[in-house]
Amino acid sequence: MTTVPTDAPRVEVLGVRHHGPGSARSVAAALDELGPDLVVIEGAPELDALVEHAGDPGLVPPVAGLVYAVDAPRRSAFYPLAVFSPEWVALQWAVAHGVDVRFADLPAVHVLADGPTPEEPTEPLEEGAPEPASGTTAVGIAPDRPDAIGMLAEAAGYDDPERWWEDAVEHRSTSSLARFALIREAMAEVRATVSHEDPENLRREAAMRRVVRAALKAGARRIAFVCGAYHAPALQLEDFPPATHDNRLLTGLPRTKVAATWAPWTADRLSVASGYGAGVTSPGWYQHLFVSWQQHDVGDRAGVVPGWLTRVARALRAEELDAAPATVVEAVRLADALAAVRGRPSVGLTELDDATRTVLCEGSDLPLQLVNRTLVIGEELGRVPDGVPMTPLAQDLARLQRSTRLKPSPTATTVVLDLRKPAQRERSLLLHRLALLGVPWGRPADAGRSTGTFKEAWLLEWEPEFAVAIVEAGLYGTTVVDAAEARVTERAREARDLAALGGLVEECLTAELPRALGAVVDTLADRTARQHDTLALLEAVEPLARTRRYGDVRGADTSRVADVLATVVARAAVGLRPACSALDDDAAARMKGAIDGAHRGIALLEDDGLAGPWRGALVAVAADRELHGLVSGRVNRLLLDAGALDPDEASRRLSRRLSVGAVPTAAAAWVEGFLEGEALLLLLDRALLRIVDDWVSGIDETTFEDLLPLLRRTFARFEPAERRQIGTTLRHRGDAVEATADGAPSGVDWDLGRPALLRVAELLGLEVR
Amino acid sequence: MTVTSTDLLRAHAEDQYAAELAALAAADDRPRPPRWRLSPWAVTTYLLGGTLDDGTVITPKYVGARRLMEIAVASLATDRALLLLGVPGTAKTWVSEHLAAAISGSSTLVVQGTAGTPEESLRYGWNYARLLAEGPSRDAMVPSPVMRAMETGALVRVEELTRIPADVQDSLISILSEKSLPIPELDDEIQALQGFNLIATANNRDKGVNDLSSALKRRFNTLVLPLPGTLAEEVDIVQTRVASIGHSLQLPIEVESLSEIERVVTIFRELRSGVTLNQRTTVKSPSATLSTAEAISVMTNGVALAAHFGDGVIRADDVAAGLTGAVVKDPVQDRIVWQEYLETVVKDRPEWTDLYRACRELG
Repeated sequence: MTTVPTDAPRVEVLGVRHHGPGSARSVAAALDELGPDLVVIEGAPELDALVEHAGDPGLVPPVAGLVYAVDAPRRSAFYPLAVFSPEWVALQWAVAHGVDVRFADLPAVHVLADGPTPEEPTEPLEEGAPEPASGTTAVGIAPDRPDAIGMLAEAAGYDDPERWWEDAVEHRSTSSLARFALIREAMAEVRATVSHEDPENLRREAAMRRVVRAALKAGARRIAFVCGAYHAPALQLEDFPPATHDNRLLTGLPRTKVAATWAPWTADRLSVASGYGAGVTSPGWYQHLFVSWQQHDVGDRAGVVPGWLTRVARALRAEELDAAPATVVEAVRLADALAAVRGRPSVGLTELDDATRTVLCEGSDLPLQLVNRTLVIGEELGRVPDGVPMTPLAQDLARLQRSTRLKPSPTATTVVLDLRKPAQRERSLLLHRLALLGVPWGRPADAGRSTGTFKEAWLLEWEPEFAVAIVEAGLYGTTVVDAAEARVTERAREARDLAALGGLVEECLTAELPRALGAVVDTLADRTARQHDTLALLEAVEPLARTRRYGDVRGADTSRVADVLATVVARAAVGLRPACSALDDDAAARMKGAIDGAHRGIALLEDDGLAGPWRGALVAVAADRELHGLVSGRVNRLLLDAGALDPDEASRRLSRRLSVGAVPTAAAAWVEGFLEGEALLLLLDRALLRIVDDWVSGIDETTFEDLLPLLRRTFARFEPAERRQIGTTLRHRGDAVEATADGAPSGVDWDLGRPALLRVAELLGLEVR
Repeated sequence: MTVTSTDLLRAHAEDQYAAELAALAAADDRPRPPRWRLSPWAVTTYLLGGTLDDGTVITPKYVGARRLMEIAVASLATDRALLLLGVPGTAKTWVSEHLAAAISGSSTLVVQGTAGTPEESLRYGWNYARLLAEGPSRDAMVPSPVMRAMETGALVRVEELTRIPADVQDSLISILSEKSLPIPELDDEIQALQGFNLIATANNRDKGVNDLSSALKRRFNTLVLPLPGTLAEEVDIVQTRVASIGHSLQLPIEVESLSEIERVVTIFRELRSGVTLNQRTTVKSPSATLSTAEAISVMTNGVALAAHFGDGVIRADDVAAGLTGAVVKDPVQDRIVWQEYLETVVKDRPEWTDLYRACRELG
């Protein structure tokens, strides 16, 4: 420990492990022991502005201090704090004791200036950390070199640094301050092995020292400096280099204007798995450790293991898995025995996981994964009081909400938007973009009886969780448009199949994201080249075609979409016949849907370049007798409707399919595919109706009972009026006169129909003779 | 005639590795649970291998994650019974035998589970001649391995637990929870001594045969032994085992031909996972389990062929027959799978031409 005269200013450096509950507890003890008149915490000095909110009961961790460049908010840094973070403990101690708090690090005005451009984000503060979700830079409260305490723990043979801290630090000395002195010495050894110091780190430490100097000058006598253990050796007051040395390091740095705010955070975002570089693997476990330690004395850590396993058992029971209290006892014993076998002084998360898997989960990993999500990582949700400055994305959203006059309200309301009016279209765009960002403020509702595409109905309901979703979305960008585009680009990268990408193309269009559209179409073109599954190709056709058809209306450039669409259709047409063979009922139903969709899409475009090959493919499929009835029947119907199939040939095929030699179930499937859609076909073409009627009456009773559900389903799709008409026609079939030579149905009273016909002719502008 | 352990076709683990166990016991200064021959640490070292301070090399018995063996040993130390689950050939029986040898010094207390295993094999039977002559007494009883283990405070093994009929399985419940075996005929009971415990093995592929009742399940710590994780690990296992079997069969060749083992293991792994090692080609999986144990038997078979009918060097021809037999269990379906694999994967590997030709010749 440093010996200083009592009247001399004193700086105690508390080197911690970020988000380490052991460090947090030691910090609390050390602060009590020292009783400082100033607490300095590692972090951008801009965070000083946030200290006023620290004592607010509305501020519930996990929260993050957020510093961002005002002119380019995408350049930002997050400083997450959990209840077990030493920094949070120090902050709370200072607030409770009325002691001043300063943050000390390289000012964000420099770090965020002239750094990465929004298009090419790099990590300004953090080395070697995985890049977070997107353009935004998530930074730990002290983005260190590889976790220094972790390195020491690993050297001592520990896989959990917290356990090392407890065994190696907590038990060494009664004085917390002496413990931190030991950490500092150990770290000095670690740093002695580093041959080349990163200039960025040197600048940061110079900046920290400058804050300390300023504080001493301002009259502070006892300063506690909470920082990453790695920095501890550089912050010893008696080893300070001359002030001019530090000032030289800190001159001539670029500057920009920054703002700071608190943002609610989640336990999930604290975990390493979320891509947060200084994160921990198991925030939930750390929280449990910290809380258990707070409840028990330092010497008594009996509560940790049974407490954890009881929570595990409760979580398993919540998932409807057996976890009897008796087995929990066994699990506790196994965890203890495992720690003993492994020669560890106390039970860690590894032992607990092993014990849970072996005793409570019958050796299976699956239940353990459930527990992992809820307990090990945790589902805590931070809260931020009102009156705290907002995140850039939230600001942008609030601005948009004002400009579009859409107010968030927790009660559900329905709005109908007319997309032809610019103001209403803005609203639609906002809702579409938010939905893409995972903020489903508005859900699509039924627009009522309108066939036009200019109307949209939304059910609006604001939920408090959206605040977090917006912060998370903030990782993608700082304005709603930017973030939505980044998110869509990411989803395009992750999309599994063409249909999903096709859907994304459409969403880009409805949300008007031209830049993202480019990215999605690129991915789509790339995937199309590699896609062999005809079904996937077919399913991609319709959304692409809609985009192509309506894209111009919305002012998007869809020529690339057209290129991709041409490829997709060509490849789907080539692969259609093979893809239709050997389908079972479910696969056939899906194929039928895909063909229908693709056909609708191609019909929409009225482009012979597409329709030609497509029709050729359909003709080939329709002529094949070996295919599944549903697909074959449907394709025949599509061709018939399109006029590409001779009605005589169609009735020949129907008759062939429904003849005695054919299997009744296959025949029924063919009928289902063929008759789906409008019933007019049957009403107008008596020949077809007769074939169907003969077939139905010819089926023997037992087979008929088997077929009944299928037939019922087929005919139930017709409108009641159409069904009634078919029924009437059939009842009178016996006495009705057969169709006349010109194909017009007989039995029509021409005199009765004459006025109506004349009127129609007049409307159509035909010459009436 | 005295029989030495070298004459035996297969020696018990405790005899085969007697020297290692003795060295471990001598070096072991850690606390031992009651009636354990070795401390948990020494048992783990015995299973996973290592070098002792006095220079004795302990050969690894189990190649795989250290965690699993630690859990197994810790479970036994807590007087909870241990259930080893896994597909065939994941060393369940092997591990249980070595655990018993290391902890109790004897791996001979074993009940082989079959569909016909009676309750007497788990509890006790009667010597009817004495029963009739002397009436019921402890002397007229025929103790089961389980009962003897209880009396001596030793480990007992139950192989293929799920093959035993459910009602017979359940007679283990009171033994595992009360640690006592009532003998109503004598109005007496056997109480287990400290150190008694039970290791059961079961195949989780045919779990449905006689699934454990939940009451019994709760009395076991369940440990799933996985298939070897990497190619190198599996090759290592096959080589060690083939060498030791070859030694006991006195086959005159050494398994120096690592490449042949690697090929066999590669084929097994590829067919098992349904994709080639370079992740480029999908292949169909046959109905056979294709466990590591089968790879070992294919190699042993090949070694025997090479030794007795060949020139002592193991070649593609020697393994081809065994390989085909191991893969093609269903003469129709599996043959198609195997032919497809030969044509699409084996044929395209230039250095595998000999193997391709050998397999094609067999049809």
